[in-house]
Amino acid sequence: MRYVDAGYIIALSVLFVYALSLIVRRRRGERALLVAERDLEAPVPGVTVSGVPVPEGASGADEQLGSR
Amino acid sequence: MTAQPRWVRIVGALAVVSSAATVWLALWVTPPDKVQGNLVRLVYLHPPIAWVAIYLAFGLAALSSLLYLWRRTRSLFWDRVAAAAVEVGVVFNALTLVTGSIWGRPSWGVWWTWDARLTSTALLLILFLGYMALRRVPADPEIRARRCAVAALVAFVDVPIVHFSVVWWQTLHQGATVLNANLSPTIHGSMAWTLLLGFIAFTLMFVWMVAVRYRVEVLSDRIGDEELEVSLAERWAEGDQAEPVAAGTGNGNGTSGPGQPFVAEPSGSGR
Amino acid sequence: MLRDALLVAGKDLRIEARSRVALWQVLPFAMLSLVLFAFALGPGQLALRQAAPGLFWLAVLFSTVLAVQRSVAIESGEGTRDGLRLSGIDPAGIFLGKASAVFLELLVLQAVLWAGVTVLFGVHLRTPWLALVASVLATIGLASAGVIYGALSAGLRVRETLLPLLVLPVVAPVLLAGSRAWAAAIGGSVASGVSWLRILGPFAVAYLVLGLVLYGPLQEAS
Repeated sequence: MRYVDAGYIIALSVLFVYALSLIVRRRRGERALLVAERDLEAPVPGVTVSGVPVPEGASGADEQLGSR
Repeated sequence: MTAQPRWVRIVGALAVVSSAATVWLALWVTPPDKVQGNLVRLVYLHPPIAWVAIYLAFGLAALSSLLYLWRRTRSLFWDRVAAAAVEVGVVFNALTLVTGSIWGRPSWGVWWTWDARLTSTALLLILFLGYMALRRVPADPEIRARRCAVAALVAFVDVPIVHFSVVWWQTLHQGATVLNANLSPTIHGSMAWTLLLGFIAFTLMFVWMVAVRYRVEVLSDRIGDEELEVSLAERWAEGDQAEPVAAGTGNGNGTSGPGQPFVAEPSGSGR
Repeated sequence: MLRDALLVAGKDLRIEARSRVALWQVLPFAMLSLVLFAFALGPGQLALRQAAPGLFWLAVLFSTVLAVQRSVAIESGEGTRDGLRLSGIDPAGIFLGKASAVFLELLVLQAVLWAGVTVLFGVHLRTPWLALVASVLATIGLASAGVIYGALSAGLRVRETLLPLLVLPVVAPVLLAGSRAWAAAIGGSVASGVSWLRILGPFAVAYLVLGLVLYGPLQEAS
């Protein structure tokens, strides 16, 4: 029966796609959170006294922002 | 910060297994109905999905909203559960309408009819969508939570009223609806078991989806907090410099927050 | 609480009396929608007469959204809402006051709108009291639900588009029951009309109570 098949295909594929999207969003969220936490502990891409901007992610700077 | 607990994975696996079993039973093992023929196979699909959408999802959303508003149990946990339940509910609600429509076409010859149940379900979908629209408005999490909880409750109170009014609307004008006649075929034996399995499968699916969606919500809130902290920290650092230069950090992703109340003008700027 | 309600209602109504926004904007909008309905349905008397009660209530519903927007906009100035919150006025009283003001505006609107429908669509009320009771009950519900959602969306920039989306689905039963009740009042079938009051009544009570209870928490969230 074509209607029955259509019904099952539509329902199951929508649910599958939605479930997949949830997993993707979760993974993306976890990765973004790691990045954000890392940024917090890394030196701030700030500026030097002379006003020349320091490239982002420069290591070894002393401005460790402390604790959370 | 804990990762997704193990029970979620287990529920997910069970959901997949039971859904697969339901589909197999529904499409191949069970016999066609005497009256409806193969169309009855949609009964294993449509009522369970409808049950999840209307009772499970919306009920959970309303309950969670109530628990959020009640001082003794107030916690953002309930707000996030409500949001998760609503989003999953929207998906199931839309599917309820679609599967109902697909069933209706060969049964009554039309894709849609203003039957009491379909009409109520359509209105319910719109109410859910309103909640989601409200939720997307950026705001402080507690404020947003309170706003959304109130919206959910106010909508919830409407549901029985909508139901009764629409049922009356139909019966007064057309007699018993066609849908009712077809919706409860007497089913026995393997059909009954399959139906039961279907309910279980979709319920498990719902639980898993809400759990994952809840986690997504927690993550997005945390990210918002962390990014706010990062940009705050960067501004503090700026203030520590003798000559501040606008660092132009990328906080332009629209994360919300109550603004940055601590950002003072850079000290020693001599302006 | 009642004294506070009278205070707030009086304020809202006095503002309306001075600015006449409802009079010059909401009312003409309602009349306009009647004309647009006729354009949409065609000039045939039969179609319009059958649709009249529904179209009347549809126009009332849209006007409710406008009236509520207006009610919220009164306090949209910088810090006005905070001022109201800090003034110590009982939030339930504020709700009652604002809802009462909207209620009165909507009732007046319905009277004028009904005159328009009578003339433009050619219908007459055979049982006016039924229509009146239905209107009063329905309007209590509309005003209550409207003010609740108004408060909910008060501080938001997207209020203009969000408010209709939130309010209209919730008041859909009022549209349904109100139309059927007025159709009964036009046709003279009292019994069926009264049965629709059994929807309008509980709706009015439910949303009035909800507003009184929830307005406080809502105020803190705007």
